[in-house]
Amino acid sequence: MSQLFYLYGMIQTRENQTNPFSELKGIDGEHRLDLLEYGELSAVFCHVDEEEFGEEVLEEKTNQMEWVKDKAFHHHEMLMKIHEQATIIPMKFCTIYKTEQNLRTMIDSHQQQMVDLLKQLDGKEEWNLKIYCDRDKLSEQVSEHNLNIKKKKEEIAQMSKGRQYLESRKIDQYIDQEVEKEQEEFSSEFHDKLDEFSVNSTVKKNWNRDVTGKDEEMCWNSAYLVPLDKVENFLELVTEAEKAHGQSGWIFEATGPWPAYHFANLS
Amino acid sequence: MSHRETYQNKEIGLIDILDTVLDKGVAIKGDLIISIAGIDLVYLDLRVLISAVETLVQSNMDSDSLTSKRFDQEKEDLTHVTEQS
Repeated sequence: MSQLFYLYGMIQTRENQTNPFSELKGIDGEHRLDLLEYGELSAVFCHVDEEEFGEEVLEEKTNQMEWVKDKAFHHHEMLMKIHEQATIIPMKFCTIYKTEQNLRTMIDSHQQQMVDLLKQLDGKEEWNLKIYCDRDKLSEQVSEHNLNIKKKKEEIAQMSKGRQYLESRKIDQYIDQEVEKEQEEFSSEFHDKLDEFSVNSTVKKNWNRDVTGKDEEMCWNSAYLVPLDKVENFLELVTEAEKAHGQSGWIFEATGPWPAYHFANLS
Repeated sequence: MSHRETYQNKEIGLIDILDTVLDKGVAIKGDLIISIAGIDLVYLDLRVLISAVETLVQSNMDSDSLTSKRFDQEKEDLTHVTEQS
């Protein structure tokens, strides 16, 4: 039976290091987490059996959503545990090598890059932000505060029934556009403020309501790499924003600290 | 309590995890190349599954008392059905 290598991530080798993760059970629920030293770098991995994690089996399993959910949770949980003890270059879910030699070859060809990356990530944390907004509330506010809309609505009230219908539809479309503009402007303005406390950031795609399962609409999705001594300032901004704008239908969801999922890029 | 502690202890949703572990992380090629359906598809499927289980539990509570054994049985049936589809 062949043993594969499931790779969680890379950390810096410590002097006289013993495996601090030997208590943790790996992704198959049997093998323990282990360390392999390659000079300055150490790979955190666990063995998996080919029968369970071979390419064909995996192909099938990744179509089973419950499996994906459980294993993705596990992957994340392990990375968090490792991250508590060491700066880590987190690998994507299901990064698997067939032999130790192959793993070694991968590390060899990225050695310097990974060493540099670990230095860059040291002393920093990733925080993610999602902003949601109550669209109805925002529509109301936009209609109330936009003078063009107010004026137009008054005009419409004086029109004949047929024209009222057409013009109302037009103004509704216009309100929708303005609401979207407002969502974008409000969020990106807040993003700029957070960005000042970060050394790096990335703006991601918004998920629609089918995916989020929320009544409110996601209007911003971003990740930040924040130096440890700036984290308090960074999060204080989020708390303040929540206090100031929560009433008007904005929801700010900050999560973290994450391993640097969004900022560990290797070419 | 510091802001950091407050946020750190907040519960993280499934979407947050899928949005990061499936989407990001270093994508150095492993030997095995697997493709996972887009996060939105994974997530949608899971939501359907989760709400199906919830409905099941709910309807059981209405009729007779819910035992964990019964629940497991139902869940197994459900998994069986969803895997076939």
